[in-house]
Amino acid sequence: MTSHTDAIDARDIANLHHVRDLFGHADPVPSDLAERIKFAITVHALHAEVAELMDSALLTTRGADAKVEPTPTDSVTFTAASVSLMVSSGPADSDDTDDADDRVRVDGWVTTPGAQIEAVTTEGSSTVISDANGRFVLDDLPHGPVHFVVTDPGNADMRPVITPTIQI
Amino acid sequence: MTPTPTAPDGLGTLAGKAFAAYRAGERERLSELVDLVTPVLWNAARSQGGAPATCEDAIQTAFLQLVDRADSINEPAAVLGWLVVVVKREVWRLARGARREFGVEEVPEAPAQQLDPEAQSILSERQRVLWKHVSTLSPRCQELLRVIAFADRPDYAAIAESLGMPVGSIGPTRGRCLQKLRTTLGTDPGWAV
Repeated sequence: MTSHTDAIDARDIANLHHVRDLFGHADPVPSDLAERIKFAITVHALHAEVAELMDSALLTTRGADAKVEPTPTDSVTFTAASVSLMVSSGPADSDDTDDADDRVRVDGWVTTPGAQIEAVTTEGSSTVISDANGRFVLDDLPHGPVHFVVTDPGNADMRPVITPTIQI
Repeated sequence: MTPTPTAPDGLGTLAGKAFAAYRAGERERLSELVDLVTPVLWNAARSQGGAPATCEDAIQTAFLQLVDRADSINEPAAVLGWLVVVVKREVWRLARGARREFGVEEVPEAPAQQLDPEAQSILSERQRVLWKHVSTLSPRCQELLRVIAFADRPDYAAIAESLGMPVGSIGPTRGRCLQKLRTTLGTDPGWAV
């Protein structure tokens, strides 16, 4: 006979694994919950304003109910009170590397010249400053989810603006 | 209370390390913490009987509170237990429509676990048998076993405590809940095969 004062043994661990499988199967963690939590933390930590997605004809955001990976983005516009941001993506410059198909180039335009645009991807983040016309290029990004954080180094009063996550 | 020497670090230890590193300035380690503990927190939230949207909000709120209070948390190593406590409290607070604030000690006990008919219909035959037996346990045991099942052996005692179970409910000894599950499964010829 076993008793509740015995040490936990392999049978108990196996039983718990079955319990885990049961609830993991019947009531799974929403697939994008962790990503949405991370996004909320970022917005919160930056005291950021969340930009709204304006032009969604050719892309799908990572919605709460997305069961499949969204289709790739072509061109998209985000708008916030202080700034608008337009980005389009395509293959990275092919002369740089042989495996250019694996990389993405993002061409963008932001309403603030000299703004800092940070692209946060699965590999980390890349930062660029927009030129006098607000243009910027982020080459060599990985395929997959990305969101942008726009700040203005010349204007400390501007709240950072963060975009929803899109797929490139 | 020492874990077996061959056991790798439990989830709680890994979470504590990631959180300590985050506090020390490695801000990107917070993502690791989220990935590690979200399954435990989801089950801790859902085991209170909250709707999915309520549970998501509760977990998100717990993390935002963690970020806000990161520097004032006394034991970074115990971050998993801290999050479980906050998530459980948040689910109840949200479910009550935020009528009033109440302390941890006032958090009601979890109800018996429920699976909606759609979820039950996708269970395997063996999972159906297991579910039948889990359902016979007390609501408190159901809650405890559901949540610790998503953690590792070294974490059981701390998680039980953060769920409001008496010290010694589980880990390193089996405790009454695991013993009951073992007994009820052991008497079912349909499970033994």
